[in-house]
Amino acid sequence: MYLFPAAAAMLAAGVAVMGSGQPAARPPGPFEVGRPFPLFALPDAANGKARSIAEFRGRKIILHVFASW
Amino acid sequence: MVGIVQEQHPDRARLFMQWKQMDWPILVDSLNLLGVSVVPITVAIDEHGVVRAINPRKETIERDFLSKTYEPPASSAAIPVEPRPAVGRPPGRRAPAGAWRKYGEDLLLWGGGTAIDKAVDAFERAARGAADGAIAFRLGVAHRARYDSPRRRPGDFRRAVERWEQALALDPNQYIWRRRIQQYGPRLDKPYPFYDWIPEARAAIVARGASPVTLAVEPGGAEFARPVKTFEARTPTNDEPDPKGRIRRDRGQFIEIEALTVPVGIAPGTATRAHLVMRPNVAKKAHWNNEAEDLVVWVKPPEGWQVDAQYITVARPKEVVSQETRRVEFELRSPADAPAGRVIIPVYALYYVCEDVDGTCVYRRQDVALDVHVRR
Repeated sequence: MYLFPAAAAMLAAGVAVMGSGQPAARPPGPFEVGRPFPLFALPDAANGKARSIAEFRGRKIILHVFASW
Repeated sequence: MVGIVQEQHPDRARLFMQWKQMDWPILVDSLNLLGVSVVPITVAIDEHGVVRAINPRKETIERDFLSKTYEPPASSAAIPVEPRPAVGRPPGRRAPAGAWRKYGEDLLLWGGGTAIDKAVDAFERAARGAADGAIAFRLGVAHRARYDSPRRRPGDFRRAVERWEQALALDPNQYIWRRRIQQYGPRLDKPYPFYDWIPEARAAIVARGASPVTLAVEPGGAEFARPVKTFEARTPTNDEPDPKGRIRRDRGQFIEIEALTVPVGIAPGTATRAHLVMRPNVAKKAHWNNEAEDLVVWVKPPEGWQVDAQYITVARPKEVVSQETRRVEFELRSPADAPAGRVIIPVYALYYVCEDVDGTCVYRRQDVALDVHVRR
């Protein structure tokens, strides 16, 4: 399971722990340094309502992409 | 802190959040719209929405990111507009695959439970128009979502697995897609148990005096199973229960059985996990009769094939009658020299079943043909 070590450590130490991810021969996703993060709406896990990274504009974000398996 | 979780079942993410007492927003990306191929990934995004670091080091994130103030991008056009979730009109008949894919995504995410048939149809139209791994993966997610819903259709689970296999064949380095198959697949392929944290999470939540989030779909045996390094073939201690085939057949009148292996296609010498899902026929008001013996499943592997359980029983509930779904899982391994082609694995189930409460109760056998494709 990928979530536990990274998330547990983050919860213990605020935002200080960054997952290193698996070694990848290509970029891990469709985003790159210096470019806007892609925006699209996704359901909030808490209530299913639509949310987007865009609503956090004006604040810095540490975004953690993980799995619960 | 914001999270995006790659998860087919959003309520499992909710349970995890409840257990870990996460109070930061977490968005569920069941379709992998983000397009990540691995997890975990951490992304530092500045106040203008621009990515400043991917997997930054904890020792330097304060200095290199958090303490900085960033200028907005030179062109305001570089900043995307906030999306508005909505299901639009269906694309035209000749619309490109991408338009149908987007329509399917919107239907699945925002169309509500009744839109799932249209979502499957939209993804199928998209898949017909392009050999695209992302479309195939999302079509698989839609089939599995429908399988888990009251709108389930026969074959949905198998079609989900086949689409995920197709997606992975198009992009074998996509680990999110690979994990979706491994979640239901054999122990030889598993990197870890997928949901063994759930019992621990529930116990911890109850100990805090709270009620755990209810899961719409409980994880099955494959999702708890631990990895193994060698296949554990077992010889049954029981004799075959109906070697001459004398027990009268149920051809689905009483019990409907959905059978598949995950993966559907395997290489010689590798394993696959069989799933038998048995549901009493609602139209007949059929129900299990629990007064006599346990349900039995007998597997007849072809020459050279190994099985980790040939005689399997399903324990009965305490109630005299019941209508629960019963699941049996076991694993098969093909011979190292298996020729390419389709192989049918004969399996049968024996059970006591009644047509209606206080109706006729009978003992029946149902034969199942597990369809495995050996690919060289």
